[in-house]
Amino acid sequence: MAYVSMGEAHRRITDYLNRFSDAVLSQDGASLKLLLSVSSNSPSLLSLADALNVFQDATRLIKHSDSYSQFAEILVPLFRSLHNYRLGNLIDAYQAFEKSANAFIQEFRNWDSAWALEALYEVAYEIRVLAERADRELASNGKSPEKLKGAGSFLMKVFGVLAGKGPKRVGALYVTCQLFKIYFKLGTVHLCRSVIRSIETARIFDFEEFPKRDKVTYMYYTGRLEVFNENFPAADHKLSYALKHCNPQSTANIRMILKYLIPVKLSIGILPEDWLLEKYNLVEYRNVVQALRRGDLRLLRHALLEHEDQFLRSGVYLVLEKLELQVYQRLIKKIYIIQKQKDPSKAHQLKLEVIVKALKWLEMDMDVDEVECIVAILIYKNLVKGYFAHKSKVVVLSKQDPFPKLNGKPVNS
Amino acid sequence: MMNQGAETLATVDPSSLENRYVINGQGQASSYPPSAAGSEALSWTTHRVDNSSTENGIPSNSTYNYDPHMQQPAAISSSLGSSSTQQDYNGYTSYSNSSDPYAYGSTGYQGYYNNNYQQQTNSYQQQTNHSYSQPVGAYQNTGAPYQPLSSFQNTGSYAGSSSYTSTYYNPGDYQTAGGYPSSSYNNQTSGWNDGNYANYTSQQYANYTPDTNAVYSSGTAPATSVNYQQHYKQWADYYSQTEVSCAPGTENIAVNSTSNFGTSTGYPTFNSQPHPPYNQSWRPESVPSEVPPVQSGSVVSGAYDGYWKHGAPTAQIHNTSPAQPHFQKPLEQKSSYDSFQDQQKTACPQGPSLQYPASHQVSHLSQSPQVPHLSQLPQVPQLNPVPQTYQSPVQTAPSLDTRRVNKLQIPTNPRIASNLTFGITKTDKDSSTISAAAKPAYVSVSLPKPNEKTPSSTGADSMLKPGMFPKSLRGYVERALARCKDETQMMACQATMKDMITKATADGTLYTRDWDIEPLFPLPNSDDDNKEILQGTTPISILPKFKRSPNRRSKSRWEPLPDEKPIEKPAYANNNALKYAGWMHANEKDRKTLNFGSKDNNSNNTKFLSLEQKGASKIIQRPVKKQRHSDGLGAVENGDASSDSDKEQGLTAYYAGASALANSPEERRRRESRSKRFEKGQGHRTETNHHKAKNSGAGNLYARRAMISKNFEDGASRAVEDMDWDTLTVKGTCQEIEKRYLRLTSAPDPSSVRPEEVLEKALLMVQNSQKNYLYKCDQLKSIRQDLTVQRIRNQLTAKVYETHARLALEVGDLPEYNQCQSQLKVLYAEGIEGCHMEFSAYHLLCVILHSNNYRDLLSSMSRLSDEAKRDKAVKHALAVRAAVTSGNYVMFFRLYKTAPNLNTCLMDLYVEKMRFKAVSCMSRSYRPTLPVSYIAQVLGFATVVPANEGSDEKDLDGVEECVEWLKAHGACLITDNNGEIQLDTKPTSSSLYMPEPEDAVSHGDASLAVNDFLTRTTL
Repeated sequence: MAYVSMGEAHRRITDYLNRFSDAVLSQDGASLKLLLSVSSNSPSLLSLADALNVFQDATRLIKHSDSYSQFAEILVPLFRSLHNYRLGNLIDAYQAFEKSANAFIQEFRNWDSAWALEALYEVAYEIRVLAERADRELASNGKSPEKLKGAGSFLMKVFGVLAGKGPKRVGALYVTCQLFKIYFKLGTVHLCRSVIRSIETARIFDFEEFPKRDKVTYMYYTGRLEVFNENFPAADHKLSYALKHCNPQSTANIRMILKYLIPVKLSIGILPEDWLLEKYNLVEYRNVVQALRRGDLRLLRHALLEHEDQFLRSGVYLVLEKLELQVYQRLIKKIYIIQKQKDPSKAHQLKLEVIVKALKWLEMDMDVDEVECIVAILIYKNLVKGYFAHKSKVVVLSKQDPFPKLNGKPVNS
Repeated sequence: MMNQGAETLATVDPSSLENRYVINGQGQASSYPPSAAGSEALSWTTHRVDNSSTENGIPSNSTYNYDPHMQQPAAISSSLGSSSTQQDYNGYTSYSNSSDPYAYGSTGYQGYYNNNYQQQTNSYQQQTNHSYSQPVGAYQNTGAPYQPLSSFQNTGSYAGSSSYTSTYYNPGDYQTAGGYPSSSYNNQTSGWNDGNYANYTSQQYANYTPDTNAVYSSGTAPATSVNYQQHYKQWADYYSQTEVSCAPGTENIAVNSTSNFGTSTGYPTFNSQPHPPYNQSWRPESVPSEVPPVQSGSVVSGAYDGYWKHGAPTAQIHNTSPAQPHFQKPLEQKSSYDSFQDQQKTACPQGPSLQYPASHQVSHLSQSPQVPHLSQLPQVPQLNPVPQTYQSPVQTAPSLDTRRVNKLQIPTNPRIASNLTFGITKTDKDSSTISAAAKPAYVSVSLPKPNEKTPSSTGADSMLKPGMFPKSLRGYVERALARCKDETQMMACQATMKDMITKATADGTLYTRDWDIEPLFPLPNSDDDNKEILQGTTPISILPKFKRSPNRRSKSRWEPLPDEKPIEKPAYANNNALKYAGWMHANEKDRKTLNFGSKDNNSNNTKFLSLEQKGASKIIQRPVKKQRHSDGLGAVENGDASSDSDKEQGLTAYYAGASALANSPEERRRRESRSKRFEKGQGHRTETNHHKAKNSGAGNLYARRAMISKNFEDGASRAVEDMDWDTLTVKGTCQEIEKRYLRLTSAPDPSSVRPEEVLEKALLMVQNSQKNYLYKCDQLKSIRQDLTVQRIRNQLTAKVYETHARLALEVGDLPEYNQCQSQLKVLYAEGIEGCHMEFSAYHLLCVILHSNNYRDLLSSMSRLSDEAKRDKAVKHALAVRAAVTSGNYVMFFRLYKTAPNLNTCLMDLYVEKMRFKAVSCMSRSYRPTLPVSYIAQVLGFATVVPANEGSDEKDLDGVEECVEWLKAHGACLITDNNGEIQLDTKPTSSSLYMPEPEDAVSHGDASLAVNDFLTRTTL
């Protein structure tokens, strides 16, 4: 930390205060935003933090001047937050920032126009980021991390400020997205529901009027929620929307979307090209897709096992596991095709033992009963058209379209 | 001495019992003066225990243990209070000890006591609350919680309570006065009574032993008060004789006076309940040794304390008041009574308030003239003075009580005890607030309230503080009273006016109405009033009221207090009229005296106030934290609320073991939360009165501070956060291996808690037991409980939970299993060894099969360690999951047969679903038919079949069972040419349905068979 003279410190602090009050008075949201981004490590804020370290009595400075003292509620804790952030006291930094943010919201409520939305976004973002860091520090101290939860309730409050009618409403989606991030991180996704409801049921504001950035984020998270709910068509719709509107430059975001969209698409029978997986570094799906193409049950199981942790964490494991039936279908279809080439007239009658043998080749040790069960399930789920004759242990396939394609519809459950 | 006394008491006097209670409370409260709520609570609980034991007929030694503690705390508390108080207190304690033996009196009383006690206490609380609240804004709030008990509703109960208080008080007074033995007593009474005492004793005594008590107390009370105020010297004398410290005594006295209402009403009950035994036992005892009454008095105060969480001080005041009630009774009874009886609920609050003030005055006056005043006062001016006096008296009273308690093992009713504890805590708070120089504010606040409540009180108030009531109103009152031809009419008038004024205050017309032109109300029939009074006194009348209480309660809760309810009174009155004829005379006399005294009282009061202020430090004054409006609604609500908690507490107290009760952290926390709850509720009521709100806030702060300060004195009273849990952990001493589970509602009793070695044996016993699950479950729960209360967390704990979880799984008791599972999760997380894997498998299965929550499943799967994934049981569970998600029924039933541990049991619960799914799948996929034998084999019906796929081996039983099952689910079965039963798949696919489970029970738990339940309860 560079040495800062008292005079220099004083100059920096007053400079900041001037910029702050100028920004508010001129309703300049963009420059106000810069002044609030505690965690941005911007040079000006860093130097201010150093100055605060030297000049301990900034509070008096603020309270002395009328033009600053009206923002004392915001600025005093903000300075404390900056200072603590600079010193690495993340917990204190968060706490002070939350105080400052509360005061800011109070002010924001009083501003009729939405000029300060940018700054509010920054506050919402900062509070989440600071809370995450504070939680990390708490956890490393062996204490229970609870700041993110606190940030969640703060953002709920902000959402309340924005969600009404009026020009500020466009900011609601941004806050919603920050909330989603918090809830997903905390594993309390059920809390998303109320926010979603108020976004989706509100008739006074068209969803399309929200900023694109927020719409994409929103669709991404709600799409993920639909994956959890195993509502694949809806998940497909939302994630596709997100993909379509996502900035093509931000590959990381696209990858995040694809991470969920691919399993969803797979489960409704749509396979991605290899290049897509390569391009976005989603190679963990390659074997899964390969298994689906080939009807290779062993490969699928292997792929699942290999990336089990990853899939479990992202929450797509069970989605991928359900692809097994499609793999069976593919396998039987292949047997059918081969059989058809050998003897077209008998092609629609598939002997169970053939399937068992095929599975044996795949090193899947399954007995007749089990395979019979699988076949029954395939027929039941409409992945195979036909019936099973128990007596003769034969699958009798329909002559028309014995292996119907999913065509974007999920497997019957 | 104490022990003896307690034992004897058990049989004997309710009053004595009560006294003991009080004493206990005080002892616990040791901090009393300062207001160590926690400590008081603790002591109380113990008391309760003792009481319960005594009630049962088994005097418990445990109480004895308390005594030392109690005394110590008391001393400490005294120190907290002003120095003067301390000294007094000390003296007191010693005194109380000596006096303790007295308490006892007749054994018969106890039984009586217990019964009445609860009710009385309940009613008491209400009364106290009301009265209190009126004088002191803060009070009302505190009172509110208490009131819930429902005592309010029942006037009868009310009366009982009041009588109690009186008895209680007396003890208190006695002690202070000097315990006096009869001699001191006589002196006091003589000065006092002049009119009241003599009358009372002669008449009442004969009829009512309780009355005598009351009388006594009153006599003493006045004496003490007198001394206090003016004649400190006298006190000194007293002290020397009695050894009781002046300050405490005086305070007690004041308290007594306050409780007058209660007493008056309560009085009747008291008498009635104890009836035969009472009279006999009482008379002898009461007369010769006034001690018994004294004890009772103390008891009462304790009870009060408990009730008053918020306004602990008030509670105490009430207690003291009981003594006075006797005096006042004649006058007050009518007025307060009327209101009481009429509305019971509504009336109560008013009545108490009036009486309360009166009592205070009395105490202050302490002189004979005052006594009469007191009786009247209750209605009038007393309110104002009362608050002030109140505080000091109240505090002292508790302290006294506690000391007594220490020595006396009071067979307290559980409920009372619980109440006491509550009150104590609150009192402490209050006192703290008062000490903070809240007094002045206090006074002012209290003044307005009294006005609202009663006309008579208004009169008094006007005397005291001219500004309080409009002149026109005073004139109106005077006019109204002037019409009265006799005492009874006067009383009726007063009651009516009270109602009027209360009404006027409630609707805000008190000051706007032109009282000069207000028509006088029709003169009430004096006979009716008399009857009413009688009723109050008569036990009989009381009882019916009690029964009704539940009904009324609901009403009271929501409706404003009815202003006039004379209608009911006459009916009640009839019963008792004859019996109590004697009363009237006494009342009359009292009234007269009262009238005189009112002015005097006022003067006294003022003096008192000044004194108090000067010596504020010495006075423990409990500021009335929450002042309440006199309006009945608030009071009623409060009453209701408190009743619930009281009941709860009462129950717990019953089961409570010994001393540990009060100390238990759980209990304390519960109390705290409860009191918080009440505070919230009170907030609403305080809206009207800013002063009140402020006071209450201050009171809380103070209380908290007081709590902290008390910590030094009494470890038990520490704030929850600061508590040293280790010292509070119960160390069990019970050697019984078998113990039934009883849900703890209060702190555990070490004597009924088994130590670890015994628990180990108990676990073995359960494991080897041949009895049914319900028995085992019960035993295991009690083992778990003992482990928990002793904070044993080791392998044994894990073993117990595991055993229980397994047993629960075996019978499919999922709720119980889930409890164990969640505990085990924590235990394992703490690194305690056990069958971790086995239970993670169970957990997994549970999530898969029963919650069917995708996210839960994912998270529990992702939490599995690699080691866990290699575990056989966990692997099995994961395989089951795969089978379930893919619908692979063959795999499922194969896994079912090879399930390790109790995985089968969990899967059992899913079998039906799985089979149904499987059959519907089969009926869709198979054509044309499917042999049932195959289905039976695949779906696990053939139990004996080894899992050889494709084998035709089949178990006929299995097939039969399968057929049954299929039929039950609407499948179409046909028999083919070979005589083999086949499933006709095509029709089946549309006809399958899931039948209602035959063994469904309305409560949803088939394992909870009625017979088992019954046998269980009779175990």
